[in-house]
Amino acid sequence: MLQSVRHSDMAASSRAVMKSFLRRCGQCWSLISALPAENTVLRLNYVIPVRMVSVSKSTGFRQRNPPSGQQKFTLEFVKKQIEEFNLSKRHLANIMGEDPENFTQEDIDRSIVYLFPSALFEKKARPIMKHPDLIFPRQRAVQWDPDGRPFHYLFYTGKQSYYSLMHDTFAKVLEVERYQDRLLLKGLFSQEVKPISLAGGRWLSKDEFEEFLVETISDQDYTYFLQLIGRLSSLPYSSLEKEFILSFHKQLDVQASKQLGQPLEFDQDGVAFSSAQGRRKTAEATVVLRDISSGKITINSVDYLKYFPSLQDRLQLMFPLQFVGRLGRHALECTVTGGGHSAQAGALRLAIARALLSYVSESEKESMRQAGLLTSDPRLKERKKPGQAGARRKFTWKKR
Amino acid sequence: MAASIGNFLKPWRPSYSAKFSLNLVDYSLIQYIRVLVTRWARYNPYYLEPEPRKEVYNIPETELTEEEKKERELKAVRPIKAAPPALTSSVFNDPMISKFINMMMHDGRKRLASEIMIQTLERMKRIQVEKYHKAPDAEKPEIDCNPYAIFHKALENCKPVVGLRNVKKGAKVYQVPTALTDNRRRFMAMKWLITECRENKHRRTLMYEKLSQELLEASANKGSVVKKKHDLHRMAEANRAYAHFRW
Repeated sequence: MLQSVRHSDMAASSRAVMKSFLRRCGQCWSLISALPAENTVLRLNYVIPVRMVSVSKSTGFRQRNPPSGQQKFTLEFVKKQIEEFNLSKRHLANIMGEDPENFTQEDIDRSIVYLFPSALFEKKARPIMKHPDLIFPRQRAVQWDPDGRPFHYLFYTGKQSYYSLMHDTFAKVLEVERYQDRLLLKGLFSQEVKPISLAGGRWLSKDEFEEFLVETISDQDYTYFLQLIGRLSSLPYSSLEKEFILSFHKQLDVQASKQLGQPLEFDQDGVAFSSAQGRRKTAEATVVLRDISSGKITINSVDYLKYFPSLQDRLQLMFPLQFVGRLGRHALECTVTGGGHSAQAGALRLAIARALLSYVSESEKESMRQAGLLTSDPRLKERKKPGQAGARRKFTWKKR
Repeated sequence: MAASIGNFLKPWRPSYSAKFSLNLVDYSLIQYIRVLVTRWARYNPYYLEPEPRKEVYNIPETELTEEEKKERELKAVRPIKAAPPALTSSVFNDPMISKFINMMMHDGRKRLASEIMIQTLERMKRIQVEKYHKAPDAEKPEIDCNPYAIFHKALENCKPVVGLRNVKKGAKVYQVPTALTDNRRRFMAMKWLITECRENKHRRTLMYEKLSQELLEASANKGSVVKKKHDLHRMAEANRAYAHFRW
């Protein structure tokens, strides 16, 4: 299933060119053939049961030409698209001369960029080929019976799955509370029981929650849900509903695993060394960290004492080494360009900290991360604005 | 607000401008686009503050309180902000002194301000050591020669307990005594010290001379800054009757 912007002349002409090109290549242009017919297919195969009532001319027009906002796709249609996708994926692999069995989405993207080069600025307008599940939004099945009566009693709220979830959640709150009351009556209630620990995680974001419900909800609805689920999880005996609560909770991955040091290298003399780069503002630094005790520290082949006359910069330079207790155990060969003295010191600090990762243990890596040594400082100079004296400062203004 | 949380959870990526989407620009060109177009917080709310003190990480888990354990768990899964340039794990790193330097600084001349601070500490040390050697043996243990301790003591002595706030009631503006936050108390003490040194200084005396003198006086609970604090307390006492205008 290949989609591109239908209204763009450029895309259309390029498609025509590609079609002829592909036809010459072989009988595999079904890849893009789905496009022109698409509009007709999309105009809903299933018939929404409507009671026969007389309608005005304008209402009738509206019903015959539904607004183009939300398109609906039948299951059969999507199934057909999936079949087509699988077939065209194999064709594409054959065109590219690769193994059709192990042709991944990445390979598809690569070959589409190669076969249909597009200079269009808008990324959505460029040709893509993706699994139909990713292209056609998931939608719920028909919610009413042949008579036109909805199945669900909350249908007319307009957000049936949201409200039924809220009802369910509150029922669970009541259930847990009732259970606690019963325990209290029997004298079995103990404060020792711990509610579920939710530290180091987060609730589903609004987008994820909407995806789960297959409905759009407002921010306020989302906060109401968060309040309710928070209330449920804070009850002492909330572990009764652990599965339910955790289905809306996501564990954040441990950051420590993201810090990887390069393995140590050895030069001709057998001295271990590691190198790394760092950046801050416009300064860029490269550091080669050698494992020589009583080694010299040079920056752009100048001694660091001469290069950084300011104390604060030297403190910054030594921060990572001092933090892991490795002062005086390394020779540093630094090169740094761009930026002012403070930015250069910051860039060097980051580079040294990264180079040190090859020498330190896992726990030290984590504490270095928590000391803010391994984060690249993203703060930049804010630009000057027109009509203002600076980034924030305004011109002096006198009424008269 | 809830809608934007979804964006915070995505890994942080510098966005240089709305026009420059990273995929469209050659990545090697990014280094030349080093200017922020609009005001924007560079860290999303999921970033936590860095902790530069080494000893914090060496505390065994058994000695931690329940809250600290939770904080440790939280820190393991959250990204951390980069340590700002004034922060180090050095033993000489003192947040109070670095704040004072920043408040003393004019026109971003931080090096000058921190040099004045170092000279002040040195002069205080010299004065106290001289005093120590001149004093009879009985008085010697009472003389504090640590300039950092003197600085902290002086600052503590300068901090007011209550402050005044202007409240408009009817056509009148009342000065109403109010409680102060820790931040505000620190700010007032530092501001008083600095303005006192700037304004009532002989033109031939240097800033560090005047500042060390003021700090030594304040640490002994004397001097014009402590007097200023007492003045404020007296005003608050006099305006006690208006205390109920706070609400």
